[in-house]
Amino acid sequence: MLSTEKPAGYKTDVEIDWCPGCGDFGILNALVLALQELKIPNENVVLTGGIGCSSKIPHYVRVNAFHTLHGRSLAQAQAVKIANPSLEVISAAGDGDGLGIGSGHFVAAGRRNVDMTYLIFDNGVYGLTKGQASPTLPYGENPKSLETENIKFAVNPIFLGLASGFTFVARSYSYNIKHLKETMIRAIKHKGLAMIDIMQPCITYNNINTKEFYDPRLYDIEKEGWNPVATNQDEYKEKVSVAVSKSLEWGERIPMGVFLDYQTETYEQKLQKLIPQYGKVNYVTDPIESNGKSIFDITELMDSFV
Amino acid sequence: MNNDLNLMVAGPQGSGINFTSDTFAKLMTREGYNVFTNAELFSTIKGEHSYFRVRVSKDIIRSYSERVDILIPLDAKSIILHREQLQKEGAIISEDKLNDPRFEAIPYREVLQNVATKFGKSLSELNVMKNTVALAGAVKMIGIEEDKLKKIISENFATRKNLAELNNAVVDEVFATFEPKRMFGLPKTTYTKKMLINSTQSVGMGKVYAGLKFQSYYPITPASDESNYLESIMEKYNFVVEQTEDEIAAINMAIAAANTGVRAATSTSGPGFSLMVEALSYAGMTETPVVIFYYQRAGPSTGMPTRHEQGDLKYALTAGHGEFPRVMIAPGDNTESFYDTIESFNIAERYQLPVIVLLDKAMAMSNTTVEPFDLSKVRIDRGKLILEETSNYLRYRFTDDGISPRSVPGVKGGLVTIAGDEHDEDGHIFTEDAGNRIKMMNKRMNKVSLVLKDLDESSKVNFYGNPKNKKVIVAWGSTKGAILDAMEQYSDISFLQVRMLEPFPVDDVIKYLKGKTIIDVEQNYSGQLADVLREKTGLVVDSRIVKFNGRPIAYEELVDAFKRVPNEKRVVLEYA
Repeated sequence: MLSTEKPAGYKTDVEIDWCPGCGDFGILNALVLALQELKIPNENVVLTGGIGCSSKIPHYVRVNAFHTLHGRSLAQAQAVKIANPSLEVISAAGDGDGLGIGSGHFVAAGRRNVDMTYLIFDNGVYGLTKGQASPTLPYGENPKSLETENIKFAVNPIFLGLASGFTFVARSYSYNIKHLKETMIRAIKHKGLAMIDIMQPCITYNNINTKEFYDPRLYDIEKEGWNPVATNQDEYKEKVSVAVSKSLEWGERIPMGVFLDYQTETYEQKLQKLIPQYGKVNYVTDPIESNGKSIFDITELMDSFV
Repeated sequence: MNNDLNLMVAGPQGSGINFTSDTFAKLMTREGYNVFTNAELFSTIKGEHSYFRVRVSKDIIRSYSERVDILIPLDAKSIILHREQLQKEGAIISEDKLNDPRFEAIPYREVLQNVATKFGKSLSELNVMKNTVALAGAVKMIGIEEDKLKKIISENFATRKNLAELNNAVVDEVFATFEPKRMFGLPKTTYTKKMLINSTQSVGMGKVYAGLKFQSYYPITPASDESNYLESIMEKYNFVVEQTEDEIAAINMAIAAANTGVRAATSTSGPGFSLMVEALSYAGMTETPVVIFYYQRAGPSTGMPTRHEQGDLKYALTAGHGEFPRVMIAPGDNTESFYDTIESFNIAERYQLPVIVLLDKAMAMSNTTVEPFDLSKVRIDRGKLILEETSNYLRYRFTDDGISPRSVPGVKGGLVTIAGDEHDEDGHIFTEDAGNRIKMMNKRMNKVSLVLKDLDESSKVNFYGNPKNKKVIVAWGSTKGAILDAMEQYSDISFLQVRMLEPFPVDDVIKYLKGKTIIDVEQNYSGQLADVLREKTGLVVDSRIVKFNGRPIAYEELVDAFKRVPNEKRVVLEYA
């Protein structure tokens, strides 16, 4: 019998193939600690990943693991939650996965506000393919893995998350496990779509955005007095514009912490407006047949065409 | 075949041609007749020329006819374009004075003005009801009581009672004043209860009955009619229809929902399917029971979005990188599409693989009379699905038949790991072991022979006609109707309908085709089934009858083409 009391209960015995010292380890450890603290039964958690170093994390956490396609972690995760709202759904993706090939899903997800958590492992490079520039690599940078300097502007995950309608938007840091764990717990508890943009140095390919780079720059906006909570639409409008301006900060000081925490209708609640029984009957466990016979009566449907 | 009557409503898109033909088709269905409609729409919202045909008979009909008996042109262009198709004894119902013996004059303006005056409205408000004037005229010429027509109009405008009242007043006015020069009596028929449906509706009902809980889609012609139908009934039958940001999300969401344990599907057409292909391969690798409803339309590329083609057979058979098992079923009519829909979910769950149900525009937009479905024999089989607590669970456990017990999230002791990388029995991906690869490939690919072995012949092929006949037509999908209709005039021709295209039912096909003169009938340029047939069975067809002008086959052109084969190796049908 596995115990969920100790962190080990949420770790698989699968050998981890990240580079020694990879920033991903901090994210894994924080997630395991967060799940342990929340005591969610392993079988009720679904962790999805896309493709990339980050997206292997589902194999290392003892929960249901959906290792999906490149860019599709968030799309699949939302469907898991819609199909069975009683599950706790966490989606992991890299910045290339989530903001490059999967950026369409990112924007669309904000329109839904499915109650789930999205973790972006943000290291500025495509590690698994030997370090090409990812969408978050700052303009003009030339980490050692790039043939030439990066001539594309960087996408700002916080700004984009706010613009897309994510209702919980945060940044954390893989070498600050305590902050990351606490932020994960808040994100998981948040009712609605929560994202954490996690600064995660790639020690092999990105020799610019390193631990030495982030340590002196990252500061906690909440410790400096920012209250991200919005409880109504007016507060939301007010907070989101401040959060946007905070999100633009990048340089000698880089903000982390929760930028926005807005409680509004979740997609599950919105679906209930269209489908009154949605969420009241569990689509997975509620039978669709009895002794091989469908339990649905379509007489009325057939008659509607007579 | 002389018991039928063919009505054509033609005009600019948005002028009520759809409403007119649908109302007429419904009326004739309620009279107990068999009905087959054909919709030729321009890919636009308003203005361009479109036309609808309604064929009616007391006999079974499964295709449309080249003949037009009554033409309702809603603009002058329609008269020019379609008067050639009109029979010598036919009738054109028109407000414009025509120098044509077939002309049946109804003073539209006067009729509408009279009704407008009665209701204190202006004529301009009633101008949109010109189609009702013509429809009422046609119904009077056929000799059907006006009250029956009015009842359907009332139903159509159930939520807009004032419109129902006005339209019905127009009907009254036409019946009171219009004296047709000739009548179009139809042989009497005995009423039996029939539905008037297209395949987007039969598939939709099939999905509800099959217990679908999650449908994803991105709007695309002609597939989205099905999703829109499902949206209209999801409140009552408690399932989710999710309109996604693109087809990539649509298929990925359906896959994830299926792996969460619900019956899940997505519906699309060629361009959308192309975007889904990476995930199709993923579904094969992850052994996901997802069903894709693929409504073909005329390609390539955007092609002719509202026109018909069966151009994607070979593509759908092979789409996806790598080798993985899939099942592909092609229903031939609106009855088969209902039962096949349910069976597609059973197959998907039993064998844990992606299933493609290959349909097309002709089926999606042709309304046909169908007997109410016989639900007594329909079974729901969810395969090796585990919903109760379990232990020592491995998602991809090796078993004798290659099918692993399937747990889903939420099941105690049944944690699942699903991965598109090659994986071990537990779903983890850190083995690229050569021996494991062979075992896993064998496990997945074994499903192909399993499906062929398990399913009975009727799921794979249908054979029609005398087995002793030398000439046998081979075809798939919606050409079935025109072929059966044309065959009524040939006792020496039989027909093999291939219902399951993948895995290809080699033995059943050889059984019926070996030693025969084989004639391929398809709605694509090259005769794709003929190529598949040669690849899979070594059989070579003698002739290919093809049609690729974007219109379904009218049965008469097949009657004619059958005379030309097998002498001619390739016959191209061109009727529009």
